[in-house]
Amino acid sequence: MIARRIEYQAVRRAVGPLLVWLERQRSRGRVRRDAGPFGPPLESSRKLKELLSLHYLEGRYADGAVPVAWVTSGFPVEILRPLGFHAVYPENHAALCAARHALPALVEAAERQGYSQDLCSYARCDLGSVASGRTPVGRLPRPDLLCCSTNICQTVLYWYRALAERFRVPLVLVDTPFVYGEARPHDVAYVVEQLREAAAAAERVAGRRIEPEALSEATRLAREGTELWGACLAQNRAEPAPWTGFDQFAHMAPVVALRGTEECNGYYRMLLDELRDRVRQGVGGIREERVRLLWDNLPVWFELRHLATLLAERGFTFVCSTYANAWSEMGSVIDPADPWASAARAYQHVILNRDLGSKLALMKSLCRDYRVQGAVLHSDRSCKPYSIGQIDLRERLSRESGVRALILEADHGDPRAWSPEQADTRLRAFMEAFD
Amino acid sequence: MCKRLHVGGPKRMWEPEAAAAPIAAALYITGRRGHSPGGMRKAYIREQQARGRKVVAVLPVHYPKEILTAAGVLSVELWGPPGPPRHASAGRLQTYVCAVGRNALGFLAGGHADLVDAVLFPHTCDTIQGLATLLPDLGGWSKPVLRFQHPKGDDRESARRFLRAELERFASEVGELAGAVTAEALSRAVALHAEIDRARAALLARRASLDLSDRALYALLRRGEFLWPEDHLAELRRAVARLAPAPVQRGLPLLVTGYVPEPMSLLDHLAEVGAFVAADDWAATGRRAPPRPDPLPADPFDALVEKGFAGAPCTTRGASRERRLAHLDALRERSGALGVLAHVPKFCEPELFDLPALRRHLGERGVPLLVLETELESELPAQARTRLEAFAEMVSARRARA
Ligand code: SF4
Ligand code: SF4
Repeated sequence: MIARRIEYQAVRRAVGPLLVWLERQRSRGRVRRDAGPFGPPLESSRKLKELLSLHYLEGRYADGAVPVAWVTSGFPVEILRPLGFHAVYPENHAALCAARHALPALVEAAERQGYSQDLCSYARCDLGSVASGRTPVGRLPRPDLLCCSTNICQTVLYWYRALAERFRVPLVLVDTPFVYGEARPHDVAYVVEQLREAAAAAERVAGRRIEPEALSEATRLAREGTELWGACLAQNRAEPAPWTGFDQFAHMAPVVALRGTEECNGYYRMLLDELRDRVRQGVGGIREERVRLLWDNLPVWFELRHLATLLAERGFTFVCSTYANAWSEMGSVIDPADPWASAARAYQHVILNRDLGSKLALMKSLCRDYRVQGAVLHSDRSCKPYSIGQIDLRERLSRESGVRALILEADHGDPRAWSPEQADTRLRAFMEAFD
Repeated sequence: MCKRLHVGGPKRMWEPEAAAAPIAAALYITGRRGHSPGGMRKAYIREQQARGRKVVAVLPVHYPKEILTAAGVLSVELWGPPGPPRHASAGRLQTYVCAVGRNALGFLAGGHADLVDAVLFPHTCDTIQGLATLLPDLGGWSKPVLRFQHPKGDDRESARRFLRAELERFASEVGELAGAVTAEALSRAVALHAEIDRARAALLARRASLDLSDRALYALLRRGEFLWPEDHLAELRRAVARLAPAPVQRGLPLLVTGYVPEPMSLLDHLAEVGAFVAADDWAATGRRAPPRPDPLPADPFDALVEKGFAGAPCTTRGASRERRLAHLDALRERSGALGVLAHVPKFCEPELFDLPALRRHLGERGVPLLVLETELESELPAQARTRLEAFAEMVSARRARA
C-alpha cells in the first residue's frame, strides 16, 4: 500500500509532468499539418492532450494508492472529490476508444461474453475492456466503488450491475426520477437522501469523513467548471464561430471527467481566453463559415474528422450541440452553500432526464441564440433515451424554428452500425438544399 | 375473503355473482367465444363503462393497480399489442426501439385506444419513459396522462420513502380523474388485490398440480390485464379449486424467464414439444405475483410500499443480479424445472443485460438454457420453433439419461 502510494505520487508529481515536458520538447520541431478547410488549430488542444494523458497515466497507478471510483457521467462527482478518489469515467474511456478506432475489438469481446449487439456501445466497450483487459490507455485502475446515476439513462444501472458482479465492490445508485417541467419536492428529497447514502458508502471505502468545507469547495469548483465550459460554448454566438462543434466534443472531456477539480477549471480558463481572442480577431473554427448548424445527440466518435471535413469544405459548421451544452446547464443551480439539495436539483434537471417539451424548447433556444440555419439529429442506435422523439423533434424544429433538419442514422461508438456512403450522400443532399 | 367486495366507493358498488359473473364465466378458460382478444376486451370495456367506470390504458410493467381499483377505474394493460404495428405512427420511433414501445405508440397515436379515458405510463425503462413524454408533449395523445415512477434498485429506506410519497401523489392524480380515493376504498382494494396475488401465486407455485394447458392458464392469468379485479378473482378462485393434491402435469418442466408470454402460440409450441411452464419468471405474470403477508399492514399505503419491494426481482426495477439469480435457482428447485427458457424481446435492455450472467450461472450448474429473442410477432417464427424443438429434445434426452 505504502509502496503503491509512493509510486502513485511519483507518477503524479514527477514522472507525469516530466513525460509531458519531454513530449512538448519533441513536438516543438514538428511541422503542423495543413489545417485544410479549418481555421488555425486551437493552441489549447495541446494542453488538453497533456491533461488527459496525465489523468489516464495517474489512473494506471491509482488503485491501491488512493480510492478509485468508476462513475457515470451524470453522477454528482463532487461528493467524491473531498475523499481523494480517483474517478474513472467508463463513458469517457469508451469515447476515447471509439475515437481511436479501438472500440470494435472491445465490443466484440463483450459480445463473446453474451452481451447483445443491441446494447449501448459504451457499455459493451467497457464490459469488453474489463473482460479482455485491453485498453488503448494502458490500464484502467480497478474500482473500489461504483457510482451510478440514472439521470442519463437506465442502461447505466444494468451496466454497473454487471461491473459490480465482476469486481465484487459496492455499487451506489442515485436514482433520479424523471422530470416533467420541474422536479417535485419528493423527487428532490429522494435524491438528497441517496446522495447522503452514496457519500456514506464513499466514506466507508475511503476510510474518512467528508469535511463540509471540502465539499463546499468541490461544489464551488464544479459550479465554476460548468460555468467556464458554458462560457466557452457561448463564444460560438460570434460570427464566425471561433471553434466547431466537433472541437467542443473533444474539449468537453475535462468537464465530464475532471469536474470539481482545479485542473479542469484552469484548463477552461485558458481555453476561454483563447476563444475570446479568436472572437476578437475574427478567427473561425472553419475557414469560410457559410451555414451554421446545431447537432443533437452524442457524436459519431469514430468519424469526427471525416464528418467535420465533409462539412467544413462546403462552409458548414456546427456551432452548438445539445450534447456539449448538457454539461453547462447545471452551473447556475449548483450552490456551494447548499451542496446536497442543489446537487440533487442540478443533476435531476439534465437534458436526458427531462421531458421532450423541454428538449424542444432547448433546441429552439439554441437555434435562436446561435443563429443556426440547420440541424443534424444523430439518430444513435446505441442511445435510445437520446434518440427517442427525434423524428418528431426534427419536424417541430423545422416548422417552429425555420431550420432545415436532417436525421442521420449512426452509432456513437460502433462503426458496424454506420454506412459511410449513405451518410455522405445524405449529408451532401442536405447541404445542397442550402444553395 | 368476503364474497362481496365493494371497492371504488358506493357509486361503483358491484356484486360479482349478480352482475358480471356471466361475462366472467363466458371468458373463463375457453377464452374467446368467437371474439378476437381485442374484440373481447373492447366489449368488456364498453360494458364496464356502461357501469360508470373510467378506463385507463396502462403500459407495462409495475403500477399500483390498487389505487385505480379504489377509484373505480378499470385498468387495461397494453403490452404492445402483439402483431404488426396498428398504425404508421409506430414509425415515429426508430426501428431499434423494441416492438412493445413501437406498437404501443402506433396503437395509442393511431386512435385505437380512444375508448379509454386516460393512459398510465409507469417508468419501466428508457423506452416507456420516452413514450411517456413523446405522446403527450409531441402529439398523439390528448387525453389525460398518468405517470408512475417506481424507485429503481434495491430495497432502501430512501426508496421506500420515495415510493410512499409517489403512491400518495399518484392517488391524488387518479382522484382528479375519477373522484377522490378514500382510505377505506383503498384498504378494500389492497385486500382484494392481495387475494388476487395469492391466488395467482398459488396457481403458479403449484402449476404441476393444475390440469390446465399452459395456453388456458396463461389466458386466464392474462385476462387479469383487463378484467375488473373481482371478475378476475372469481375466475382465479375457480382455477385454484381445480388444483389437485398431487402433480398432474407429466410434460417436460421448464422455467421460463422473460418479459411477456407473447406470442401466446409459444405456449402451444411448448406443449407440442412435450414441455410446460413449470416455473414462471415472466415480468407480466410470475414477477407480478408477490407473496402477500396475512394480515396486511393496516395502512393501505404501507401495504403498497411493502408490495413494491416484495415481488420477484425484476429487471425493470433494476434488481440486483445476485437476488435475481438466487430467485431463479429457488424457482427451478421448487418446480423441478429441467431447463430454462429465456424469452426476451429484441432491443429490451433490462432483459438483455442480464443474459450473460444468466448464461454463466446456469452453465456452472449444468442447467440447459435456450435464449429466444422475439419481436411481439403474432406467431412464433419458424426458426424459433425449430430451436425450441431441439432444446426440448436435448432436455428430454438428459432426463432420460438421468
Ligand atoms: S444509453 Fe446513452 S446515455 Fe446511456 S450510457 Fe449509453 S450513450 Fe450514455
Ligand atoms: S420490452 Fe423492454 S425495452 Fe421494451 S418497453 Fe418493455 S421493458 Fe422497455
